[in-house]
Amino acid sequence: MNKSFIGLIVVSTIFLIYATGFYTNFQTDSALEVIDFSIDQPEIENSVPPNPDRIPLYGDLHVHTKYSFDAYIFGVTATPYDAYRYAKGETIKHPLGFDMRLREPLDFYAVTDHGFYMGMIENYADTSSEMSKKEWTKPMHNINRPENVTTESLGERADLFSSVISQAIVQPYPYWHPKLWKAWFTNNIQVALQSFDYDVHKSAWADVANAAEEFNKPGKFTTFIGYEFTTSTDVEGGNLHRNVIFNSSKAPIRPWTRIDSLNPEDLWTWMDGLRDKGVDSLAMPHNSNGSNGQMFEVETFRGNPISIEYAEKRMRNEPVVEITQVKGTSDTHPLLSPDDEWADFEIMDKRVGSRPPTYSMPQGGYVRDAYLRGLTLEWEGRGNPYKFGLIGSSDTHTGAGGFDENNYWSKVGVLDGTDMSRGSVPLTQDRIEQLEEYAELYDQPISIQDIEGRTYADVGFDQWSASGLAVAWAEENTRDSIFQAFKRKETFATTGTRMAVRFFAGYDMQSIDIDSEDMVKNAYAKGVTMGADLFSKDNQTPQFLVWAQRDKLGAPLQRVQIIKGWVENASGTPKEKVYDVACSDGLTVDPVTNRCPDNGAKVNINDCSISSDVGAVELKTTWVDPDFDPTIKAFYYVRVLENPTCRWSTWDALKAGVKPRPDLDETIQERAWSSPIWYIPESRQLDIIPL
Amino acid sequence: MNLRIVVFFAIGLIIFILDIGFNSEQDSKDIYISDQELTSLLSAWKSQVGRPPSDEEIVSIINNFVQEEILYREALLLELDQEDRIIKRRLAQKITFLKQETIPDDPSQEELENFFELNKDNYFVPATYSFSHHYFSKESNAKEIAAKAFNDYKTNGTEIIGDPFFLGKNFYQKSANEIKKNFGELFFSTIENLSLNDWSGPHESVFGQHIILLKEIKNGFSPPLEKVLLKVQQDYLSQAQDKAIDEYINEIRSQYRVIINPDYKF
Repeated sequence: MNKSFIGLIVVSTIFLIYATGFYTNFQTDSALEVIDFSIDQPEIENSVPPNPDRIPLYGDLHVHTKYSFDAYIFGVTATPYDAYRYAKGETIKHPLGFDMRLREPLDFYAVTDHGFYMGMIENYADTSSEMSKKEWTKPMHNINRPENVTTESLGERADLFSSVISQAIVQPYPYWHPKLWKAWFTNNIQVALQSFDYDVHKSAWADVANAAEEFNKPGKFTTFIGYEFTTSTDVEGGNLHRNVIFNSSKAPIRPWTRIDSLNPEDLWTWMDGLRDKGVDSLAMPHNSNGSNGQMFEVETFRGNPISIEYAEKRMRNEPVVEITQVKGTSDTHPLLSPDDEWADFEIMDKRVGSRPPTYSMPQGGYVRDAYLRGLTLEWEGRGNPYKFGLIGSSDTHTGAGGFDENNYWSKVGVLDGTDMSRGSVPLTQDRIEQLEEYAELYDQPISIQDIEGRTYADVGFDQWSASGLAVAWAEENTRDSIFQAFKRKETFATTGTRMAVRFFAGYDMQSIDIDSEDMVKNAYAKGVTMGADLFSKDNQTPQFLVWAQRDKLGAPLQRVQIIKGWVENASGTPKEKVYDVACSDGLTVDPVTNRCPDNGAKVNINDCSISSDVGAVELKTTWVDPDFDPTIKAFYYVRVLENPTCRWSTWDALKAGVKPRPDLDETIQERAWSSPIWYIPESRQLDIIPL
Repeated sequence: MNLRIVVFFAIGLIIFILDIGFNSEQDSKDIYISDQELTSLLSAWKSQVGRPPSDEEIVSIINNFVQEEILYREALLLELDQEDRIIKRRLAQKITFLKQETIPDDPSQEELENFFELNKDNYFVPATYSFSHHYFSKESNAKEIAAKAFNDYKTNGTEIIGDPFFLGKNFYQKSANEIKKNFGELFFSTIENLSLNDWSGPHESVFGQHIILLKEIKNGFSPPLEKVLLKVQQDYLSQAQDKAIDEYINEIRSQYRVIINPDYKF
């Protein structure tokens, strides 16, 4: 009797919810509702047939515009449309007024504004908006009026970023407010925040999608609808940011953000849900270097042990990872790879966005370590959640990525748009006083430092890089073809250079004439390529085939390396080793040290010119692992190194007519990394000891 | 005759007095909320919240509206709208939208044709080139080897065997930009000047030497209007909107005089 009474109440409540229209709302604003953003466009004839040998297509999948909450505060007013124009080779303006233009156009581009508060700051700044009536938005009113987008506004902007915004935007409406109830019923927590206008947010997202649709030209230029899921661990502020891109014109009605959930596993659940509705997407983690070791943890977000389900879910949604970008490179760290002479490359060792800047633990923050952790987890029978491919991207916040050392504007607009504010050139007396004044006025840490008698800005931008690019091996320049390349991890990353690398493995590679015209066709037929698994075949030793070509406008190639990682069967100890496999200038690898001799390439620091007579146009070889053990699971990825060239900070100093800052690297070696090939041994019969 | 004038003025006076009597809204303290206004207030509320407002909420919606109206009118009386930059900007924005909206949505065929003729360059489909090449890598003594191989081919018909090129041997319908991207500027300026179906070389690029056979040039062309109609329509409308504003401002501008203190120090 009692039970059926409760049942009646439950049923009638559900009925009431339906009847009063809440249910419809739940459907409407659910983050799983799919919108077709496609626009009427003239048909374009794509008469060029797909190339079965695949072509390398260069792009950037990490670009912010004015719709990102931080970019707008950095003075950025560039729209997604401006960003796409830039990628196609047009000139757009930096917030500080100078021209930004690519050396040569890119093949694909994705605007990925922060989903969190997308479009809101511009709305606060617009004094005709509803939001701008709120008291706390006052400091943001008209912040990007033309006369205020200057280096002098830096203190004000830094203060907005670090105090005003973080305090104001988390205030919810009181419990009786209809918006709070709406939030609860529609499962859309952001609506409950006093600082949030859902209509503004949705229209910003629709504009991002519309820009992507307008610029996507099959066969010529590809765009993706996308955004950044900007989450972090709640303790220690470990950065867990990822970019999400969608495979078609169809995308959800709104981005899933950190307000919905901080837990990346919930993001994957949402992505799985969209996939069930026919919208495929992928998430790409970035800046693992600034995650304090939490990007590639050996436990889940909630501290549970990693399971096979977790590993499968992660790999289903995150096939590629950004290894390099403006905030440093995450290949490996000198502390993790003491035997790798090239490990100390563009290391950014601070947690992303930490104030004051806080050290980021290397363990668990670098991709090579992640690959090893993946093998270890698999060795323990818990699946491999870290079997991802590699891409690079810029993370620019000005709409325009700076990929060249001598054509560089860093990324945060007004904050680092000049050589002095990046810390590469000594500060003038005026600027020193200005920075001291700001520190006092806005209670910020002192941001100047003395180095050998000269005063520089001390803001961490000196650890940032003119990097990087994502390269997909695709049949043609279309959304589908490039997206499929990411899914099968047939990708490589570069530090901004347009070099290219092919990588194959198989058991019959040595029968292929590497100097024949159909070498690539044969390699595809007889082996596997980057991103794939190579399964054991009767315990044979596999052969690897590498072919790298220089950037026609960059420096020649110096060497090609294969980096191997494995876990010892008996002990579960992770190991790694770097092999040089091809050297420039006719030099040969020393079989004992596995190193090429020095090719003697030099850089003249006085004018940044480089040796013109050393280095290779292309490097090509087949290689056999001298330490191969057919019973051990291992990964192999390629690293291609250019001859040294001037770093951006040296170019800055050269252009300003001053000496380069003595504690920074004067030169760097631009490079590319392929996605790994994993060798999978035959599963061994376990000896079971009956108890 | 005179009577007519008197009657005319009398009627005019009556209309004038009536007008004052009926249109004294400026001083009137009545706030009239029309049915339409109410409907729009309530439906706006409903669309934001997701349900119709309760009686209490209706009261507060109306109170808010009334309060805003009172403050607005009092502000007008105090002439607070004068010399306010934000109000100026908002009004300027409104008139801009108004002028943009006066453009007809459907331009006539003739207008489109004229526009298309004037802007043909924007719809130009660039030339493409199809070619094959034998590549000799810079690593070797490329120039000599290439020259010899080509010579052997010409004299004895010996097959040319070079090195494989990273991006392959045959290139089909590539635009100038794609060729520059894959081979560099120098190589493209060579291609441009080759004669068709005639092996030639060796030609230099960043990567080494090339013996090239240009197979086909598809000249660039302006597509007929039908092929690009949608794009032309979009471009026409967006240009027409910009033009409407410019014309409007130019027209009015001549009536204004701008005075700036010539001694002001910038």
